[in-house]
Amino acid sequence: MTNIAAILLLIVSLLLPVSGYADDKHKPEEKKPIEASQGKTIYDSWCAQCHGYKGDADAYTKDVTLPLPRDFAFGVYKFRSSAPGEPPTDADLTRIIRKGNPGTSMPPWERFSDDEVKAIVQHVKTFAPDVFSSEAKSIKLDNPPKSTPESIAKGKELFNMAKCVECHGKEGRGDGEKGWQADFKTDWGYRVAPANYTQGWELRNGSDLVDIYRTISAGLAGTPMTSYLDSLKDDERWSLAHFIKSLQLTRKLGVALKVKKVESLPVGTDDAKWKDVEYLDLPIGGQLMFEPRNFTSVITNARVRGVYTPKEIAIMLEWTDKQPSKGADNIPQDSARIQFPVKLVDGAERPYFYMGSRKAPANLWQWKASDDNKVVELIAKGFDLVESKEKTDISAVGTYTDGLYRVVFKRALNTGQEGSPAFMVGKFIPFSVTLFDGNNAEDGNKSAISAWYFLMMEPPTPIKVYVMPPIAAILVFALGLVMANNTKKTRDQRKKKK
Amino acid sequence: MLKIYPVLAAVGLLISIVSVIRKSSFFNFLGILILLFGLLKSAGLFIPPFPGQVITMYMAMSIFSFLIYFSIQEETFQAFLEPMRAVLGDEDKKILRVLIVFIALPLLTGFITYTKVVPVYEPPVSARIVHPEPPSQMEFRGKTINVIGLENPLRKDTANFAKNVEDGKKIYYQNCFYCHGDDLDGKGHLAQAYNPLPLPFRGGDTIAQLPESFVFWRVSKGWRGLPAGSGPWNSSMPSFEDFLTEEEVWKVSMFIYEATGNKPRT
Repeated sequence: MTNIAAILLLIVSLLLPVSGYADDKHKPEEKKPIEASQGKTIYDSWCAQCHGYKGDADAYTKDVTLPLPRDFAFGVYKFRSSAPGEPPTDADLTRIIRKGNPGTSMPPWERFSDDEVKAIVQHVKTFAPDVFSSEAKSIKLDNPPKSTPESIAKGKELFNMAKCVECHGKEGRGDGEKGWQADFKTDWGYRVAPANYTQGWELRNGSDLVDIYRTISAGLAGTPMTSYLDSLKDDERWSLAHFIKSLQLTRKLGVALKVKKVESLPVGTDDAKWKDVEYLDLPIGGQLMFEPRNFTSVITNARVRGVYTPKEIAIMLEWTDKQPSKGADNIPQDSARIQFPVKLVDGAERPYFYMGSRKAPANLWQWKASDDNKVVELIAKGFDLVESKEKTDISAVGTYTDGLYRVVFKRALNTGQEGSPAFMVGKFIPFSVTLFDGNNAEDGNKSAISAWYFLMMEPPTPIKVYVMPPIAAILVFALGLVMANNTKKTRDQRKKKK
Repeated sequence: MLKIYPVLAAVGLLISIVSVIRKSSFFNFLGILILLFGLLKSAGLFIPPFPGQVITMYMAMSIFSFLIYFSIQEETFQAFLEPMRAVLGDEDKKILRVLIVFIALPLLTGFITYTKVVPVYEPPVSARIVHPEPPSQMEFRGKTINVIGLENPLRKDTANFAKNVEDGKKIYYQNCFYCHGDDLDGKGHLAQAYNPLPLPFRGGDTIAQLPESFVFWRVSKGWRGLPAGSGPWNSSMPSFEDFLTEEEVWKVSMFIYEATGNKPRT
């Protein structure tokens, strides 16, 4: 008993000085409350490069970003949860800083503490004091109803009834006719494009259900996207959001595309065969290595599919474009290229991923929107030395439907021509993609590109895969049978002896 | 996934201890093997995991040596084999026999054979040297510059330090931020399209490890200056001597160090 008491005493006496010591020395450094004046310091360091030291968006990046950064002096904010005409709430500004605006140069700022963000918000408001003199209230955003096939169907009806389709297009790809009329501009006179719902990763105001609902309800101030707060009921706006959310694609990213073997190649871009084929999504960005550099590319994704027969291969490229261009005065035409190394070698070495080099040239298949599906085959020995081959065996079919370009290239696996790589089944063949949006003035080296990826024509499954495992299993089964019998016999004999 | 291996090791240990007490050398053998496998795999929690081949070899050697150990004496070997014989021959173990000998083992063999014969296609992977050795000399727009011992001349001009950093900021946001990020974190709005991904400048493992002469060379020469081991064919890093002057490269270098709170290695 005395022992236990002694131990207890020891423990208690150990605890006391220790905690006292901790209090003295390891007192956590008291975080000083961030003052609003610090908002300016942070803003000048980390916001002014795009939004301007005076908040007027007259800044370093003004010629190299699209969409343009917000001009805070106007006090008009696209992304709000407040009723139309009202300023954004502090929570709105905080959300934009924290989550960024996907598809723009505004990134999510996760590094700052909550107090720091608060200070930035206060500073941003000082650029338009009149606008923020009254406090705005958020409209009701919580308790979303569950998405059901019925609500989605209802949303689809509303999508047509509320005339969303006029700007956003039949399939929601932002290709509606109204969106391309000359007067489709912001209050500041800049051209804007209706959102493409299918590519959630570039939805400026966020791609979650509540983000879509907020956009429909509050509208985007200063743009043709009006508020539907009064014209649609609460549950109608949720249904519409359910429908729009249901249009979002799931991206499948990776390094290699499996090309499936088929009996015969699909006919055209609408062939049902394409639906059974795996695809790979390639993120696309502007070409930044050579002049003219493309800082403001608009194409963000290319979806690739492929099939082959013992003789031929077909590759389909799929990308969205809100307004097609067959070329006009000062407007180049839309175009697509798929690139391969001229020489396929084992190992990691490849030609330079954009147009190869003098030493390691690239072979490109080029389709243009106006050329009646005529393919030009290019040999590129660098961005500045590109020649077209006189003769090509490549054919292509391209279509544009509801904001979606689809182009199918076809070629013999081995053309026997110089400069055209022979494709071998089972090999990983490097490829990359270059796309051009004519309405974005993309032409020549001003293009939208992908990195190198691989495509691999999957060899048919060898027969041994189906035969060997059952044989092995049967053999082991038989062996077990024999051994069990033998063991039984010897054991029985031993028992009899006993 | 790795966390189940210590549990596996513990189960193996338990089996061996119980089987030593109950004098069952066969289960002792199984327990030790499970313990060893669990331990070898658990190592991955603390150090880089052992390659699969090493583990396979180690396990094969363990099986071999323990079999020798248990078969040295005829008597112990008979005791060792007894559980297997019992399952094969005993009348009262019929259910166990059907389950193990006639169902589990054939299926397992079939499965192992399948994994051996099914063809697996893996795209070629290439190791990449992230910070290659810079050359001792480089050309900048035709002018020869010694990279070894090269220092940022603007750092001596302390009077104009703030101005030079601000100039660097402007250059950064007109040339670099698309890829290396608004916050210099490598997450620029166009970064995702390129492979390898652009490097972040924040943190202590990129520019903080490099002398400023390296940054000057890397920015000026870009993909063209990379040796084969660094995969120049994949790099989207422009050769900035095409777009910037020497002084501008030094200014942007000062900005990326200043903005991330890093110091060039000397």
